[in-house]
Amino acid sequence: MEIDNGPMDEKTKRMRDLLSSFYSPDASTSGSSMGSSNRYASPLEAINTTSFNPDQYMSILVQKSNLEGLLQKHVEMAAEIKNLDTDLQMLVYENYNKFISATDTIKRMNNNIVGMETNMEQLLEKILSVQSRSDGVNTSLFEKREHIEKLHRTRNLLCKVQFIYDLPARLGKCIKTEAYADAVRFYTGAMPIFKVYGDSSFQDCKRASEEAIAIVLKNLQEKLFSDSESIQTRAEAAVLLKQLDFPVDSLKAKLLEKLEQSTLDLQLNAEDLSSALVIGSSKDGNVSESVYGASHEASVREFAEAIRAYRVIFADSDRQLIKLAQDLVTKHFDATEQFIRKQICAADLLRVFGIIWTDVLLLGEVLNDAGLPDYSLKAAQVAVKQYVTCTFSRLLQDISDALAQVHTRKKEEGVQEYSLQLALEASKKAVLQGSMDVLLDFRQLLEDQSGLTISQRDSIVDWVQEGFQDFFRALVDRFMLLSGKNSSFSQSQVLPEATQAEKVVAGLVLVLAQVSVFIEQTAIPRITEEIAASFSGGGTRGYEYGPAFVPAEICRMFRAAGEKFLHLYINMRSQRISVLLTKRFRTPNWVKHKEPREVHMFVDLFLQELEAVGSEVKQILPQGTRKHRRTDSNGSTTSSRSNPLREEKLNRSNTQRARSQLLETHLAKLFKQKIEIFTRVEFTQGSVVTTAVKLSLKTLLEFVRLQTFNRSGFQQVQLDMQFLRTPLKEIADDEAAIDFLLDEVIVAASERCLDTIPLEPPILDKLIQAKLAKAKDQNPTSP
Amino acid sequence: MVSVASAMQGGSSGIGYGLKYQARCIADVIADTDHTSFITGTLSLKDENEVHLIRISSSGSELICEGLFSHPNEIWDLASCPFDQRIFSTVFSTGENFGAAIWQIPELYGELNSPQLERVTSLDEHASKINCVLWWPSGRHDKLISIDEENILLWSLDCSRKIAQVQSKESAGLLHYLSGGTWDPHDSNAIAATSESSVQFWDLRTMKKSDSIACSAYVRNVDYNPKKKHLLVTAEDETGISIWDLRKPKVPIQQLPGHTHWTCAVRCNPEFEGLILSAGTDSAVNLWLASMTDGELKSERTIDSPRCPADPLLHSYSDYEDSVYGLAWSSREPWIFASLSYDGRVVVESVKPFLSR
Repeated sequence: MEIDNGPMDEKTKRMRDLLSSFYSPDASTSGSSMGSSNRYASPLEAINTTSFNPDQYMSILVQKSNLEGLLQKHVEMAAEIKNLDTDLQMLVYENYNKFISATDTIKRMNNNIVGMETNMEQLLEKILSVQSRSDGVNTSLFEKREHIEKLHRTRNLLCKVQFIYDLPARLGKCIKTEAYADAVRFYTGAMPIFKVYGDSSFQDCKRASEEAIAIVLKNLQEKLFSDSESIQTRAEAAVLLKQLDFPVDSLKAKLLEKLEQSTLDLQLNAEDLSSALVIGSSKDGNVSESVYGASHEASVREFAEAIRAYRVIFADSDRQLIKLAQDLVTKHFDATEQFIRKQICAADLLRVFGIIWTDVLLLGEVLNDAGLPDYSLKAAQVAVKQYVTCTFSRLLQDISDALAQVHTRKKEEGVQEYSLQLALEASKKAVLQGSMDVLLDFRQLLEDQSGLTISQRDSIVDWVQEGFQDFFRALVDRFMLLSGKNSSFSQSQVLPEATQAEKVVAGLVLVLAQVSVFIEQTAIPRITEEIAASFSGGGTRGYEYGPAFVPAEICRMFRAAGEKFLHLYINMRSQRISVLLTKRFRTPNWVKHKEPREVHMFVDLFLQELEAVGSEVKQILPQGTRKHRRTDSNGSTTSSRSNPLREEKLNRSNTQRARSQLLETHLAKLFKQKIEIFTRVEFTQGSVVTTAVKLSLKTLLEFVRLQTFNRSGFQQVQLDMQFLRTPLKEIADDEAAIDFLLDEVIVAASERCLDTIPLEPPILDKLIQAKLAKAKDQNPTSP
Repeated sequence: MVSVASAMQGGSSGIGYGLKYQARCIADVIADTDHTSFITGTLSLKDENEVHLIRISSSGSELICEGLFSHPNEIWDLASCPFDQRIFSTVFSTGENFGAAIWQIPELYGELNSPQLERVTSLDEHASKINCVLWWPSGRHDKLISIDEENILLWSLDCSRKIAQVQSKESAGLLHYLSGGTWDPHDSNAIAATSESSVQFWDLRTMKKSDSIACSAYVRNVDYNPKKKHLLVTAEDETGISIWDLRKPKVPIQQLPGHTHWTCAVRCNPEFEGLILSAGTDSAVNLWLASMTDGELKSERTIDSPRCPADPLLHSYSDYEDSVYGLAWSSREPWIFASLSYDGRVVVESVKPFLSR
C-alpha cells in the first residue's frame, strides 16, 4: 500500500535503512530499524527486519492469501527483489568510486607533504630571531620602567608627607569648623606614620598635630560633659573619644561620679526635710512644702535626664546606673529612717513617701528595667514597719516619762500635794490620748492612696495590731521595772534593780496600779473598738495564729499587774510601818519598863505613815462605797471605852486572871463572828487604807507576842492602843476589825505580861486627853 | 492520859489536837521509825508549861498523846534529836531570862502518873536571848549548835555522860542580831543563820562567816532543801518566800508570794522535790510547788508559757483561828505535816491529794 502511495519514497527510505543497518553495528538499536519493526508488527510486514523468518512468512502468507493474492505477492516480491538488486549494484558502484577518489587524494597528499619540513625549520628560525629581538627591547626598556615606578612611589610618599605636613593646619581648620569627626579621621589616618616616624622626621609635625588633637580631645570632653549639648552630639563625642583611644572608661567613671555627685544633692536630708515640713506645717504652708517638693522634683527630673543621656552615651552601663538609682532610693529611705526617729507624724511620713515615690517614678521612666518601684516598695515596707515600732516605743517612753514625774517632782519641789494625781492624770492621758493619736496616725497611713503605702494595707494592719500587743506587753514590763519588781529574774539585770528597789516611791507603785486598772477598763476597750473599726482585716498572718491583737490577754495581764502593784504598794507601805514598829518594840527592855506617863510618840509616827497612805490613796483611787462610816465622830474615847468585852476583861481582879482571860478570849472568839482580817483588797481608797491599817495592827500584834512585859510595859501598850482606837477608826473603814485587832493586841500584851494590871479607865482617859491637847497645841489648824 | 482527837470542822481533811495553852513550836520526831510522831511544847508565861509527845494512830485518823510532861518554863524553841527519839532540846524563857536545855523522856513514862522530864544537860553559856538549838538533821552527830542574839555556839554533846561542852563560840559581830538558823543537812560544817534581813553562812570548822545573802525584808525562817544541795528557802515578812541557789546568792531563783501577812515558817519536804510548806500570821498554811526541773530550779516564767504561768500555790489550809508558827513535815511519812497555831491547836494534814500534780 505504501508502495502504491509513493514507490520512490519507499525506495529511498529502504536504502537509507539498509545503509544505516550496514554501518551501525547493531541494527536493532538504531531508531529506524526500531521504527520499522514497530511498523511491521505483523510477521508479514516484518520482512525488512533482521528477525524476519521466511518460513513463518511463507506459511502465514499461504494461510492468509488466496492464490491470486499469492501470485500478486509473488509478482510484487519479484519486482522488489529486482529493485533491491539494482540498488545494491548502485551502492557498490558508488562506494567504489569514492574509494578511488580517496586513494587519489592520499596520493596527492603524499606528494604535497615533502616540502613541508624545510618550511617549518625556516619558521622556527624566524621565530627565534623575533624572540631575541624582543628580549633586547625588553632589557633596554627595563631601567626606564624601574625609574618610572620609583618616581611614582616617591610621588605617593610625597603626597602622604604633604598630608602629614598639612595635618596640623587641617586639624586646626577642623577644630575651627568643629568638624571633629574629620579631624579624628585624619588623625587616625596619620597615626601609623606617626607611630613609625614620629620620633624622627615628623617630630614637629607630630607635636603640632598632637596639640591639635589634644584640643580636639579637650573640646570633645567638654562637649561630653556639657549638659547643654544634645545627647546626640555628646554620644558622638564619646564615640570619637573612643576612636582616639582616649580612656573612655575613666571618662565613664568620671561621668558616673558626676552623676553620683548629683545624687548627693538629691538626697533627702533629714534636717532639710524636717525644716521644710516644719515650715510647711507651721505656716499655712502647703506652699513652702510644695516649693521644696517642686525644687526637689525638678532636680530629680534633671538627674533622670542625665541618666538617660548617660545610658545613651555608654550603652553598656545599665548595671551601674541601676545601682546608682537604687543607691539613691536606699539613701532616700535612710534619710526617712533618720527622719522617723525624729518623732514625725504619719502625715509627714506620707509626704516624704510622696516625694520619694515621685522620684522613683521619674527614675523608673528612665531605667524601666531597674525594678525601682519594687525595690522602693520593699524599702517603704521596712520604713513603715520601723515607723510603727518607733511610734510605739515613743508612746512607751511618753508614758514612762509621765510616770517618772512622780520621782522628779517629789525630789525637786518636795510638794507632795496632788503630784501623784497629776502624774496619774498625765499617765492616763499619755496612755489613752497617746494610743488614740497613734491610731489616728496609722489610719492616715492606711487611708493614703499613694504608691508606696497602698499595697501595704494588710501588713500595716497586722503591724499595728502586733504593735499594740507588743506595746502593752512592754508596758507591763516597764511598769514592773518602774515598780522595782522585776518579774523576770535575769541575773545581771536584777542586781542594780534590786538595790534600787527601796528607792522606788510607793506613790509611783500606787499610780501604776491605778493606771493598770485604767488601761484594763478604759483604754483597752477603746483601742479595741478603734482597731476593730479601722484596722480589721489584715490577714498576712495565717489564720491559725489568730488576730495579732488579743485584748483579752492584755486585759488579763493588766488586771494581774494592777493587783500586784496594789499589793506591792500596801506591802511597801506596811514595810515602812513595820520598820517603825520594829524599832518601837525591840529597843526598850519591856520587862523593865517604867510606868506610862504619856502616850508614846511612836503613835504619831504610826498615824503619820497611815495618813500618808491615806493622802496618796485619795489622790489616786476612787472613793468607793464605805461600808459603815462612823456617825459619832465626837465620841472619841467613850466609844472605845464602851466595849464591854474589853472592859470586863481588863477590870478583872488580878488573881487567876491570865488563864481565865485566855479562856474568855477563846470563848469570845467563838461567840463573836470570826472577823476576817485579811479581806480582798479592792481598788478603792477605803479598801487600801483599811488593809494597810489592818496589816500594821497585825504586825503590831505579832511584835507584842514576841515580847515579855512587866506591868508598866503592858500598861504602856494598853494606853497606846487605846489612843490609837479613835484615829484609826477615822482612817479606816472596818471598825469591827480594828476594834478586834486592837483588843487582840491588848490581850496579847496581857498574856505576855508577868503582872497584868491594866490602867484604870480614868487614868487612861486623862493621859489620852493630855496627848490630844498636846497635839492640838502643836498643830492648832488640824481638828 | 489520852487526849481526844477530833476532826477539824469545815470539811478539812486534817486531824486536830488541842494543847492547853498557847504554843509556838512543833517538831517531827525523826528518830522514831515506828510511828509518825511529833513533839510540841506550850508557851505560857504564867502557867505550868507542858511538852506533848503526840503520835498518829495506826488508822491515821487520830492524834494520840503518847506523853505529857511538864516543862519548867515557856518553850520558845523545840527540836528533837535525830538519832534518839527520847531526847530533845528546848529553848525556854522565864520572862526575863532565857535558857536552853537537852531533855530526855523518862523510859517508863507510861506508867508514871506525872512523869518528869530528865534534864540531860543545860546549855548555860549564853549571855543574851537564845533563839534556837540545832541538831544536825542527817544523822548521828556529836555536835550541837545553839544560837543566841549575838553568838553562835558549837557544843560537843555526850548524852551518855550527860555533858555538853562549848567547843567554840563566835560572835556574829556588832550590830548583827541573829534570830535563828538551820543546819545544812548536806554538810555538817555549814549552818545558815538569819540576821535581820539577811542570811549568814558559817563554817563550823573555822567558826567564820563564809558568805551571806541579802533578802528584801526581815527573815523569819530559813530551811535547806534536804534533797538538793545549795538550795535554800527563806521566809520573809512582807516579800514572802524566796528560793536561793547558794552558788548564785545575789538574786533568788524564785519568789513565791507567801502569806498575806508575815511568813513565819517555811519547810522543804524531805522527800518530794519542790514541795514547800509555809505558815503565816494570816492563819494559814500554804503548800507550794516550786517548779524544779532536772537538776536546776528555774524561775517559773521561763518554764511556763508566758501567757499562763502555773500557780505555784497548790493549796492553802486556812482552818486556823490564829497565827501559825509551828510547822513540821514528818520524815517517816513525808506526805504528812503537822502545824501548830498560836492558840495551841495542832493540825496534822496529808498532802497526798496534791502530789499527783
